[in-house]
Amino acid sequence: MINTAVLRLTRRYIDRRLVQSLLFIAGVALGVAVGVAIDLANGAASRAFALSVNSVTGRATHQIVGSAGSVPTSLYRALRIEAGVRASAPVIESIVRAESLGGRTFRLLGIDPFAEGPFRTYLTADMLAEAGPDGGAGALAFLTEPGAVLISRALAEQANLAPGDTLSLRTRTRGAAVVTIAGFLSPAHEGSASAVNDLMVADIATAQEISGRPGELTRIDLILESDAERAAVEGLLPPGTALVSAAASRSALAQMTDAFELNLRALSLLALLVGVFLIYNTVTFSVVQRRPTLGILRAVGATRQQIFALILAEAVLLGCVGTVIGLGLGIILGSSTVSLVAQTVNDLYFRVQVEQITVPAGTLARGFVIGMGVSVLAAVLPSLEATRTEPAGVMRRSDMERTTQRLLPVVTLGAAALVGVGVLVLQIDTRRLEVSFGGLFMILVGGALLTPAALVVLMRAVAPGMTRGFGVLGRMAPRAITRSLSRTSVAVAALTLAVSAIVGVSVMISSFRQTVSEWLDTTLGADIFISPFAGESNDIPVDVDPAIVSRLERVEGVERVTTVRNVAVLAPDYPDQPPANLVVPSDDITHSARRFAWQRAPGNYWDALRSGQVVVSEPFAFRRGITPENAQITLLTDRGPHTFEVAGVYYDYTTDQGSVMMARTTYDRYWDDPYISAIALDLAPGANLERVLESLQSETLIDTGLRAQSNRALRAGALEVFDRTFAITIALRLLAAIVAFIGILSTLLALQLEHTRQYGVMRANGMTPRQLRAFTLIQTGLMGLAAGLLALPQGIALAVILIDVINVRSFGWSMDLMLSGQPFVQALAVALGAALLAGVYPAWRLSRLVTAQALRSE
Amino acid sequence: MRVLVRWGVAAAFVASVALIVSSVLASRGAPGAAAEQRAVLLDAPALALDGFARAIEPRTWSFPADHGAHPAFQTEWWYYTGNLATEDGRRFGYQFTIFRRALAPGEHPSASEWRTNQVYMAHFTVTDVAGGAFYQAQRFSRGAAGLAGATTEPRYRVWLDDWAVSARDESAERTAIGARSPDVAVELELRQLKPPALHGRDGLSPKSGEPGNASYYFSLSRLATSGVISIGAEQFSVTGTSWMDHEFGTSALGPDAQGWDWFGLHLDGNRELMVGQIRLVDGGIEPAFGGLLIEADGRTVPLSASEITIEPLRWWTSPHSGAMYPAEWRITVAPGGGAPLTLHIEPLLADQELREGIVYWEGAVRVSGGATGYGYAELTGYHSTMRDRF
Repeated sequence: MINTAVLRLTRRYIDRRLVQSLLFIAGVALGVAVGVAIDLANGAASRAFALSVNSVTGRATHQIVGSAGSVPTSLYRALRIEAGVRASAPVIESIVRAESLGGRTFRLLGIDPFAEGPFRTYLTADMLAEAGPDGGAGALAFLTEPGAVLISRALAEQANLAPGDTLSLRTRTRGAAVVTIAGFLSPAHEGSASAVNDLMVADIATAQEISGRPGELTRIDLILESDAERAAVEGLLPPGTALVSAAASRSALAQMTDAFELNLRALSLLALLVGVFLIYNTVTFSVVQRRPTLGILRAVGATRQQIFALILAEAVLLGCVGTVIGLGLGIILGSSTVSLVAQTVNDLYFRVQVEQITVPAGTLARGFVIGMGVSVLAAVLPSLEATRTEPAGVMRRSDMERTTQRLLPVVTLGAAALVGVGVLVLQIDTRRLEVSFGGLFMILVGGALLTPAALVVLMRAVAPGMTRGFGVLGRMAPRAITRSLSRTSVAVAALTLAVSAIVGVSVMISSFRQTVSEWLDTTLGADIFISPFAGESNDIPVDVDPAIVSRLERVEGVERVTTVRNVAVLAPDYPDQPPANLVVPSDDITHSARRFAWQRAPGNYWDALRSGQVVVSEPFAFRRGITPENAQITLLTDRGPHTFEVAGVYYDYTTDQGSVMMARTTYDRYWDDPYISAIALDLAPGANLERVLESLQSETLIDTGLRAQSNRALRAGALEVFDRTFAITIALRLLAAIVAFIGILSTLLALQLEHTRQYGVMRANGMTPRQLRAFTLIQTGLMGLAAGLLALPQGIALAVILIDVINVRSFGWSMDLMLSGQPFVQALAVALGAALLAGVYPAWRLSRLVTAQALRSE
Repeated sequence: MRVLVRWGVAAAFVASVALIVSSVLASRGAPGAAAEQRAVLLDAPALALDGFARAIEPRTWSFPADHGAHPAFQTEWWYYTGNLATEDGRRFGYQFTIFRRALAPGEHPSASEWRTNQVYMAHFTVTDVAGGAFYQAQRFSRGAAGLAGATTEPRYRVWLDDWAVSARDESAERTAIGARSPDVAVELELRQLKPPALHGRDGLSPKSGEPGNASYYFSLSRLATSGVISIGAEQFSVTGTSWMDHEFGTSALGPDAQGWDWFGLHLDGNRELMVGQIRLVDGGIEPAFGGLLIEADGRTVPLSASEITIEPLRWWTSPHSGAMYPAEWRITVAPGGGAPLTLHIEPLLADQELREGIVYWEGAVRVSGGATGYGYAELTGYHSTMRDRF
């Protein structure tokens, strides 16, 4: 279909219009890069998680877990001795923090080597060789020496640690512990190398001594192959323990981040969408510019198909280059994004350590298909347009614009319809986020397609003002924009899209932040909060001895001491969900200020809690379908499963997994767990906060591993985590803006090339270079202004959809829309700034235009 | 008299523990895993003897208390072997042994029920003579959290997971053995017919001229046994006679020991004979090693090395390990210069080689010649020199 002569034409064209080709490539490359980067970062985080879970669960098919995170050792003994279940292994697992390694956290995995054989196979005999000159002694020391641990070789090398070196740890049940490196872990597979980087393996006795409690295991791992075996084990289980499938709990954990990852992915699509406009713009331009050539080609016998193929081939070629660059860029970008994503996953979900990214072929293939698909798709319309060129009939630019004007009502109606469909799609009540995002994108694209009509209206509206302000140039500029509508509207649409993304996401984040901040105000009712020392990310869950309470009550200035216990408990009715976070306050620290989405009976929720009912947080209710009609939750207690009445759903932004709250008195009735997790102090009127803090820190809390924070410090810390969570979002919307900026730049350059002759005429008629420059900048300024203005309604719509639909369906959080002037001013500034900046180079070029040459260029 | 039995197996057990900590956790079934296991085994450490109690003076025995564990000593075992038969004469042999080894002296004070220096190993074999099959299984466990141990409180019991010897009465004269592997299981009732036979000097059994290099050692040489042996889905009601050794001490083999041959035989006339020899690297026989003849009335007659001749008549090469073991013997004992007793010993089954961990041969044998009966033989040091490992 395409012969070499035609292909040569393509190459020549690309050569001659290098800048435009580069812009095309940039549009594709950026869109692809952002998508690939997000894909890689998501993939790296979830793979790291899967590996790290696998390295810990090993080949277990089932696990016996306990009502509040512990299983009695006696159950394990019964399994081995009475039931003869050989494929069983005891595990004591907890998170510890290595103080001497900059607060780095590890999963401390306590195992019994004699029971391990069938389960975890990532250790090798290397530890023997490395343990010292007498290898065997090293292995025996692992059993006999208290505090002997194994860490990953990679980590040891990085931290310059050798066998015999010690580490001081903070652990769950002891304030501090010192361990000795007895050897190294070497994973059997290269791929799992990073999975053991956050692993610290110890003999089960050592693990229990430094981070467990006598008589308690974290869980029992099992390999059960038949239903009969399962039934036999279930028959042995005492109340308060449950047999769970390892695969189910693994996938429940892995699912936690699904919504988060999908949201990131959708955001990355936004960058691609902006890129589509850019490509469309470039290809259209190339068609218009070559109408004479195309006409001649048709005249000498080229078929419509050949013309179509010619234009499409260009797009494919440039798209290919752009995609490949985009893939490379994506990998680079991915490596820097991954830490951001991992940080958020750490803050919100679970502990992962992502050291490097791997690049799966699937991601690259997906990126390639998307890049090429977008290039071709965006080029199809202009290519079809090109085939309509009559032989030898030199269709002018004006013809094209006439077509655009004619099409304007159609496009506008279509766009309105698309927006309408999008709104309808959003009404569908579904948990499938893809559907919601589909609706969102329809509205965004529809909004973008409304740009031409809006631009015409806007230009007409500003014309009088412009004339007054800038004279002749002011009158010419809006008209120039309207006249080249096919070009300018696409550029403005791209910029609008990008800016509205900035507005929408900013408004969503600031609304969210405002909501969280108000929630913190009501929730953090106490003056001082005492919790285990927390490092960079998640707190280590710690069991605090309640004996501290009476010591705290004696501190001068302390009026009331409220304790909180946080444990993960099983909700047997929801096996596909991670264990429920149980929050057990001893009293209402919010002083009755806690806000509720609904309450079954009006009045103080604390009365309901005292009567044995529970309240659940909004995400918890959302994930488990708890409504006023279905207001109960069954939890596995130490007395066996018990169903609690849900008295209401409270607003809570601690975790998107949600929590169940019950009064300490209720907890003590159903669980044998004397420990507490954190403490809140109310000060007596007139007490000096600083002085109390000082005395806590220097006396009461010394050597407890606990730290006191003022209300304000804790609040700031929480917001810091919040901001960190959205760092990646902010980075992404900036990328969208960069793509849009390139769009504007390319449009202006295109316009300028097109109008070279016109500018020549203007110069010949006495316009100074300075005036020409001003003319260009006024034009671009107007376009920026238009984009900024159009972005406002679209941005608000986006924010509303994000807040009311996407967030609710992703995380179950509701928040109030907060509109402030700032994001809008910012958006306008960004749009104007981007446009004007994009106008600088074309303006500079114009001013150097040589009149005669410009005229000759015809 | 000096009796040295099974020190090697017990000592090699430590090597196995080192092995377990490393390679049991390591990837299994990988090519070269076996070679690696052997390499690790050979590198296994010699445990220091410091800090352990030593067997220096004869002790005052107290039963049933002395059936329990003696954790102050480094090594200890409860060693049951027996020859059983169904009513119609189908013969079986079994070995059920639990070893205890302290990886280090004493115990670290700890709140953890898992903390211990005591490690247990168990070997369980069944010889199905008619079926021509030898079943074997090995287990390890720490002696903590109630998973393995030996006690007399409230009654004698030595166990590792669900493998156990448990007393049926306060005196521990009646006991039961229960063990099950994927292929075979035994449920046996044992009744002690003779008082404990003390080896050496009142049960102090020196291992060499060096003081303290000795063990405390007694045998329950005749245990009337009945019960059920299951092979797959088949069950056999059996009766017969078992032999039990209980030995503990803190000791090591001499540097020149190559291996040893041990025989525990139930003879007609209600007599039992234990004989053995330590083979030295230079081809000689360790003079400190001997035997014990237990008369029908329970009287014991010690045998010195010079009073015992063990003469291999035939050899068998293991198709599994390639080791070549003697497979038929002429044994002559001349207790106290009296009339010599010449016995002809033959394995009931050629292949009774244990190779789950340490490779050795321990199997049921038939006695003919000057006396008739059945017994068990143990042959070590034929697969490789075990000396360096201990």
